[in-house]
Amino acid sequence: MHQFVSTTEIEIDIDRMVDTYGNMLFRICLVILCNESDAEDAVQDTFIKYLSKAPTFNDSEHEKAWFITVATNRCKNMRRYNIIRRHLDINDLQLYCRNEENYGLLEALMKLPHKQKAVLLLHYVEGYKIEEIAKILSITAAAVKKRLQRGRELLRQNYREEEK
Amino acid sequence: MDERKIKDAVNSIEMSKAIENRLKTKCFDPNREKSRQINFKKWGSVASAVGILLLLLINLPFISNYGNSQMATFTITAYAADNTGHELLKEKTTFDLATLERIGVLTSISGDGDNLIFTNVSLNVSGENIDSIFYEINKGTFIEDVILSKEEVANWDKLVLEKINYLTNAPNSEIFQGIKYIGNTFTVKYSEQQKYKYSLAIPPHNSLEEEILINVTVTYKDGTSEQQDIVVNHESGSISLVLD
Repeated sequence: MHQFVSTTEIEIDIDRMVDTYGNMLFRICLVILCNESDAEDAVQDTFIKYLSKAPTFNDSEHEKAWFITVATNRCKNMRRYNIIRRHLDINDLQLYCRNEENYGLLEALMKLPHKQKAVLLLHYVEGYKIEEIAKILSITAAAVKKRLQRGRELLRQNYREEEK
Repeated sequence: MDERKIKDAVNSIEMSKAIENRLKTKCFDPNREKSRQINFKKWGSVASAVGILLLLLINLPFISNYGNSQMATFTITAYAADNTGHELLKEKTTFDLATLERIGVLTSISGDGDNLIFTNVSLNVSGENIDSIFYEINKGTFIEDVILSKEEVANWDKLVLEKINYLTNAPNSEIFQGIKYIGNTFTVKYSEQQKYKYSLAIPPHNSLEEEILINVTVTYKDGTSEQQDIVVNHESGSISLVLD
């Protein structure tokens, strides 16, 4: 038996998804890609994938993890194909970041390598445990631990330099 | 560093209302398509393939049917006792050794002459705009047959100085034939090849551990040069030359 979904239902669904996950995904993508239009593209592609695949989720946590996985993979691919790595200018940060005190830390975070950046974001910002991050990024728990440790070291180092 | 600061900093980023609206509109657009990224990996492969193709096209005129680099534009001709020229090719050119009789009556001037087979095989190069030719043999030497009078032969010091190491003469004759050592290299002007015609003297085949090679390098008038190698094989009673 076919289940027909009306256009209005799809519209409501995507509105709900953008409202729920839009901001979170944009933050993750912006920090990883360091570019507003690339981040917007990555988020848009994530929602398009959601609409075309119409995945079913066990719960809201599963749903959130799915969106993060798709978005981080998209960022990874975009970075791979963008030879020139762009960094967000401190002036551009003012457009998205409300608190001026955070500019230095955000800049230091954005300068980190992609691998460490993604792990730090998922652990410290989204609150995922090591095993959960390993599942989302399809890497081993040991690799997550290593990236976290290295990421913290690099961030501390970058942040100190930013503050000088 | 307080790790909560990371959370606060990242969470202070907010997507603008304009982006939010664009996302909602674009995602709902039935003609939507994924953002296009230039696939450098894919285009890199295409660029490599085009590069290889160009390289092949550029080098095609220089590749022979056998896949080897095209032959140099000069030809080497070998002359032996009969004075008939034989152009050297990838196939063997064989000459009979008419020198064995001569060895029997040789007189060594210096007394410590090398054990060599003196052939009367000489080389000549033909080509256009050639300025000079340089020859180098890895085993043996180039020699020149010289005619000497009785008086000249009497001055052995001069003979040694001029590197005339061997003498031979017909019985009761006052005309001597000398063998002058040229060395394992020599350079000759293209127009003076007939004047400086040197023959090959090679070690006997049973004393050789590696093949005899003659390197022929021609220098053109524009300063460029080309080279070819000749492999020399000494067989029983004959000598063969083949382009390497």
